[in-house]
Amino acid sequence: MKDLSVIAPLYNEEESVVLLYEAIVRAIEPLHLDHEILFVDDGSRDNTFRIARELAEKDRRLRVIRFRKNYGQTPAMAAGIDHADGKILITMDGDLQNDPEDIPRFIEKIGEGYDIVCGWREKRQDKLVTRKIPSKVANWLIGKVTGVPIRDNGCSLKGYRTEVIKAIPLYSEMHRFIPAMASIAGSRIAQIPVRHHARKFGKSKYGLSRIYKVLLDLLMIKTVVSFASRPMIWFGGMASLAAVGGVLTFAFTISRWIRSEGDSLVVLNGTAMLLGTLAIFLLFAGALGELVYKTGNLKINTLADIRASLTGFEMQDRKG
Amino acid sequence: MMGPSTELSVIVPVVERYDDVAELYRAYKKGLEDSGKSYEFIYVIDGDFGEVMEVLKRLIAEGEKIKVIKLARWFGEATALTIGIQHSSGSSILTLPAYQQVEAHEIPRLIESLKDYDMVIARRWPRKDSLFNRIQSWVFHMLLNPVSDFKFHDIGCGVRVFRKQVAQEISIYGDQHRFLPILAHKYGFRVLEVDAAQSQKDTSKRVYSPGTYVQRMLDIFTIFFLVKFTKKPLRFFGILGSSVFTVGFLVLLYLLFAKVFQGVALAGRPILLLGTLLVVLGVQVFAIGLIGEIIIFTHAKDIKEYTIDQIIG
Repeated sequence: MKDLSVIAPLYNEEESVVLLYEAIVRAIEPLHLDHEILFVDDGSRDNTFRIARELAEKDRRLRVIRFRKNYGQTPAMAAGIDHADGKILITMDGDLQNDPEDIPRFIEKIGEGYDIVCGWREKRQDKLVTRKIPSKVANWLIGKVTGVPIRDNGCSLKGYRTEVIKAIPLYSEMHRFIPAMASIAGSRIAQIPVRHHARKFGKSKYGLSRIYKVLLDLLMIKTVVSFASRPMIWFGGMASLAAVGGVLTFAFTISRWIRSEGDSLVVLNGTAMLLGTLAIFLLFAGALGELVYKTGNLKINTLADIRASLTGFEMQDRKG
Repeated sequence: MMGPSTELSVIVPVVERYDDVAELYRAYKKGLEDSGKSYEFIYVIDGDFGEVMEVLKRLIAEGEKIKVIKLARWFGEATALTIGIQHSSGSSILTLPAYQQVEAHEIPRLIESLKDYDMVIARRWPRKDSLFNRIQSWVFHMLLNPVSDFKFHDIGCGVRVFRKQVAQEISIYGDQHRFLPILAHKYGFRVLEVDAAQSQKDTSKRVYSPGTYVQRMLDIFTIFFLVKFTKKPLRFFGILGSSVFTVGFLVLLYLLFAKVFQGVALAGRPILLLGTLLVVLGVQVFAIGLIGEIIIFTHAKDIKEYTIDQIIG
């Protein structure tokens, strides 16, 4: 196992590849670590892959993973993480907006015992209205809902302890929520300011997705992450709500019947029964959720276990 | 039976329809000889086709090199193909229907087209069959094509050539063999559609039972779901569920308003039932989406979202 893997997804970055490679090497060479660099070519249509391959032929420590087509930033990061061999992983943008000179500070922080180190772009060089403001709002919302206030979820420059990040499910656009998911397992998260450069070449390829996606993802994260290990609680809660509604409506129906005001009770009774069925449906859904969770291969506990074993390791370290 | 150097494995699944087996075999064989590739023939018999078995036995007795795999019962075309591929030794696979669809002399050209692609599918063009068949096919593809950004014109054509890797990476089941090209395209394989002359005998009017048409619609729904929302069930169910819920909620809000400000008794309002029903349905659809999310979330480490072309270093 190596000490360090630096992962950068590339999508149509033919002008940046060499500069990026040189900048990374310049930044981590002086650390004298056993390192590797992983470039993930996310289905580029230009010469990105050819250039990266030429670099890799000269430097054994550079590995290039090429996707068959364009999948997006999160899958590219995920592929890099899946194939990385280092004890510490650094992810960064492939477009030179992040500065590799910041990498040593991430390694330092992880050395201090943090599991995840998130960068935040101190002087962000992007358009205010289309990028900075939506991102501010999204960060605030994600922080409020998940309870993990991260200043800049959109910053790709992050450092991870490998065991922790490899246990976190990473798909679709979930990279925004890595800190939130990790914090549930009790990971320690640090944030450090990083430099941010304006784009030198091309234009931004990964835009802010539509707001509804973020909202639904957020809702999913909130429910799935905080309740995935006990779906019954979430669904059961909803079921009780429906049951209470049903019972109240039914009681109301009975009271009308006793007072026998002479009008039809079909409507009220029907409503009560509908709410009753919903309660039963949700109970079963909860049971199904439990079943799914039990047969799944990812458990929040796994994350917690890793955390625990890491802590144990550190404690031994300190004694020794 | 064949050496490891076989270039092409020809798989003929006998599932439902079949035409004169010996005649078709000879026609296919001629086409393959013309292609100049080394090949092997594999017939997969999906269940009981006594007549077909007889003919194949006779052909083998006459010295033809045919591998016959007979399945114990009916499993469906996707399974028949999968089993055929498992028993094949070629680096590329050519599937041919057990009935006349494309003129056999088009085979060499199709195989040739595979050079720069991972999968080549034949498109029967120009069509010679009945107007009814053509309309039916047009409607099917019109419904199907929003699924994928690759526009297919003849997904029902069983003549397809593809690299073995395609079959190894994509697992198909049930009736999904039809959608193999769509899935291949989704997995990032290079797919090409090539016009091929339609067989003279592929002109009979095909009218299926209503059940088959319903089945096709469900197939499209399944493939739509598989291709578009595999990783994000809540995006689909969530939007559907919350819109239904919102409509129901608005109805209830209106009723509440009428009750409070206009004193209209709830018991006399049948629309209360509709409102409640919509709210209930909305919550249920949403709950299904959430369960889907839990499935993906807890299995995310098994499902790779990306396909790798190559790794250097």
